[in-house]
Amino acid sequence: MPRLVNIRRSVFEEDRRNAEAVREELGRRGVLLVNLIGSPGAGKTTLLEATLRKNTERPETRRFRCAVIEGDVATSRDAERIAALGVPSVQINTEGGCHLEAHLVRKALGALPLGEVDLLFVENVGNLVCPAEFDLGEDFKVAVSSVPEGDDKPLKYPHLFHLVRAVILTKTDLAPYVRFSPERFWGDVENLNPSARRFLVDSIQGDGLEEWLSGLDEWLEEKRRR
Amino acid sequence: MRPLVHELSLVEALCKELLQQGQEQGWARVTRIALRVGEMRQVVPDVLLFCFDVASKGTILEGAVLDIVPVPLLWTCRECGNVWPGDAACALCPNCGAVRTELQEGTELEIDFVEVEDFGESPEEATKECRSCQDW
Repeated sequence: MPRLVNIRRSVFEEDRRNAEAVREELGRRGVLLVNLIGSPGAGKTTLLEATLRKNTERPETRRFRCAVIEGDVATSRDAERIAALGVPSVQINTEGGCHLEAHLVRKALGALPLGEVDLLFVENVGNLVCPAEFDLGEDFKVAVSSVPEGDDKPLKYPHLFHLVRAVILTKTDLAPYVRFSPERFWGDVENLNPSARRFLVDSIQGDGLEEWLSGLDEWLEEKRRR
Repeated sequence: MRPLVHELSLVEALCKELLQQGQEQGWARVTRIALRVGEMRQVVPDVLLFCFDVASKGTILEGAVLDIVPVPLLWTCRECGNVWPGDAACALCPNCGAVRTELQEGTELEIDFVEVEDFGESPEEATKECRSCQDW
């Protein structure tokens, strides 16, 4: 005879344990972990490069010590781009997997000089769906969406845009050349996630990076105050 | 492990969780799974069922009925305490217009309960059971 067993447990239980371990370790060290999520081609790596460069231009007292975990289906190109800037980076290849999971991040932490890091970025696999489902142990997720992708992304991927602490709209310099309604984009963000911080960035020219770095200042300070 | 649709990622996590519990608790077979799925997860039930059929093959989960129990969105306002069922596209409180709102329900991906069959009490019976399904 079949018998009934109550489970009442998340499907992601094992993942949750790994995520908690990551959160605990980074909490102890005061490292802020930011999980960047966006489509392939949204400009996540370019945004990171620009952020890291801009960071080196800041006065030394306000400069973050950064590290990056790169998630990609294949190749180590992104990690090489980051390493070229002299920033510690680890590449995770998911070999077909469409998102990163906490156990992969937990393992990657071992390859980074965490004692000398303030700010750890995870660049997730380019995808707006699965990465939203998985907790990596991050402090928060950030959605990266570019102007040429169109203004309908928040409404089409509400789960991601609902979860994030910030939305970064990239490639703002392309606005004159494509049909993109900022009112619709930000209106939908407002409805889905009214408290999300908003940033407009042109990674090539550097517009909006200072605001983004100031946001990171606040979040790191907030984390270390706790 | 190469998930092409997010339903497959979810199913893989589901199977992993249940297979682990099955091993720990010595289940012979799982015959039914009740899974609570929040609307915000944007799960397509048919795709989830198809992925489950594929992923459960050759395990104690094979052939189990997967009951998908949809959980509608329920928002709550942290300013005025208003609770309302809503759609994903609006998180503003319809009562006071506050932005400090949160999803109380609708992001679940939770195994509510399972129906399982146990191995027989005696070792002989357990062996018989294994032979009859020919998987072990």
